[in-house]
Amino acid sequence: MIGAAGTAAAVRAGRLTAAAATEQALADIAARDGRTNAFTAVTPERARAEAAAVDAAIAAGRDPGPLAGVPYAVKNLYDLAGLTTLAGSIIERDRPPAARDAFLVRRLHAAGAVCLGALNMDEYAYGFTTENHHYGPARNPHDPARMAGGSSGGSAAAVAAGLVPLTLGSDTNGSIRVPASLCGIFGLKPTYGRLSRGGSYLFAASFDHLGPFARDVADLALAYDALQGADAEDPAQQWRAVEPVSGVLDAGTAGLRIAVADGHFARNGHAEAFAAAEAVSRGLGTTARIEIPEAARGRAAAFLITMAEGGNLHLPDLRTRPDDFDPMTRDRFLAGALLPAHWLQQAQRVRAAYRAAVLKLFDEVDVILTPATPYVAPPIGQDMIEVDGERIPVRPNLGIYTQPISCIGLPAMAVPIADPAGIGAPHGLPIGVQVIAAPWREDVLFRVAGALERAGIVAAPTPAR
Amino acid sequence: MSTEFSAEAYAKAAAAAIRLPLDARHLPGVAFNLALAARMAAVIEGMPLGPADEAAPVFVAGREPPR
Repeated sequence: MIGAAGTAAAVRAGRLTAAAATEQALADIAARDGRTNAFTAVTPERARAEAAAVDAAIAAGRDPGPLAGVPYAVKNLYDLAGLTTLAGSIIERDRPPAARDAFLVRRLHAAGAVCLGALNMDEYAYGFTTENHHYGPARNPHDPARMAGGSSGGSAAAVAAGLVPLTLGSDTNGSIRVPASLCGIFGLKPTYGRLSRGGSYLFAASFDHLGPFARDVADLALAYDALQGADAEDPAQQWRAVEPVSGVLDAGTAGLRIAVADGHFARNGHAEAFAAAEAVSRGLGTTARIEIPEAARGRAAAFLITMAEGGNLHLPDLRTRPDDFDPMTRDRFLAGALLPAHWLQQAQRVRAAYRAAVLKLFDEVDVILTPATPYVAPPIGQDMIEVDGERIPVRPNLGIYTQPISCIGLPAMAVPIADPAGIGAPHGLPIGVQVIAAPWREDVLFRVAGALERAGIVAAPTPAR
Repeated sequence: MSTEFSAEAYAKAAAAAIRLPLDARHLPGVAFNLALAARMAAVIEGMPLGPADEAAPVFVAGREPPR
């Protein structure tokens, strides 16, 4: 399938109609999504109407937008007008359909993109695997017996399988970066407060971020540029001017101080995770190492705050219909509702102190590299895994490297190793590296990703069909 | 008095305090997750904090909406 930039260029130049691009994508989803279970709803009527409007704009000589005719889909916690927002649950199935699109969906619509449907996820975004008991697991396109990652598993699987070139997800503790790594694609978690979350189903609001997935850096940049914009309805959004990144992809990394994270980020994983970070640092010509202070405490703080915010959010349903929750999330939400106030307040104070300590690092470096996940995609249903000589639960550990970063809202991008077999990844399965920058410096992430892509070090591996 | 954390006993008492009916079938899973949370709480307990270390969320009385 051609990418977002290629599709938009062809549609804008009149070489392809948005209607034809849409029909092709709809046919592809119908034929192939059974393998990945990425979609929970396909919206052909909406897609055909949006595509017709793009083609009509071109026929009338109007600018159809930078994403003209580009098929995309969204995690099913984004509001799509006329569709009930499930957030991966059956509880929400009883609610009325959304009255209007989420803010970011409105942004993509205004840019000419065509929405094809809603995507699978962990219930209420509380998980790293998308082994959803209600709607079935999202399957990894590189091996359908393995996890796609989560909680935005459908968003990553749909892009990795080539069903759509662009999707949106959410990331509270790693839910964009983890599935991007396991499925071998690019995923961006912008700075906390950058993109509006208006019209999305929250999970733990003080950590909730939204962002895009794509198969290459140019497509990710195109999407990110279109998604920016101020929304008075998101109380956490910082109403900054739009800062486009599509123009910096070729800027190179000259002048950037880059280091690989040590300590917490050099433990807790398998050899392929560290080999991936090493391959990227070698490609960027750096041997510098840096310690992110108190990362384990930052992760613990995020763990507790997430539990408490999630438990509080769902308390009315936990009181009246606990058996309608996914067994994978229910007991965690119940426990989260019960946490002592001291644990939560201590976590919030640790979070602030940890943030202050980490922000000082950016006096010394501009970019920090860590593995994105501690291992390649585990088989669906696997409960335990051996790490550093110890048997530990496989699922929570998937967020070991992402959780300390979203805890303090730093912008981060998961970039996929182009040749996973070449770095020794088991079965040649995909794995990604997390690229981290100072707050509001998404441009730096895109410069680094662009340079790595040009050097052939990162790229989305193609799954066998 | 013992300060050892009994997750099951705590779960029952705290659930009653917030009017959360806790089914006996769910209690082992809830206790497991509370015990895990207790381990995380022990990790952050050791952070050196002083009276000036405020919590991360800072209340804002109001702000100008975007134009």
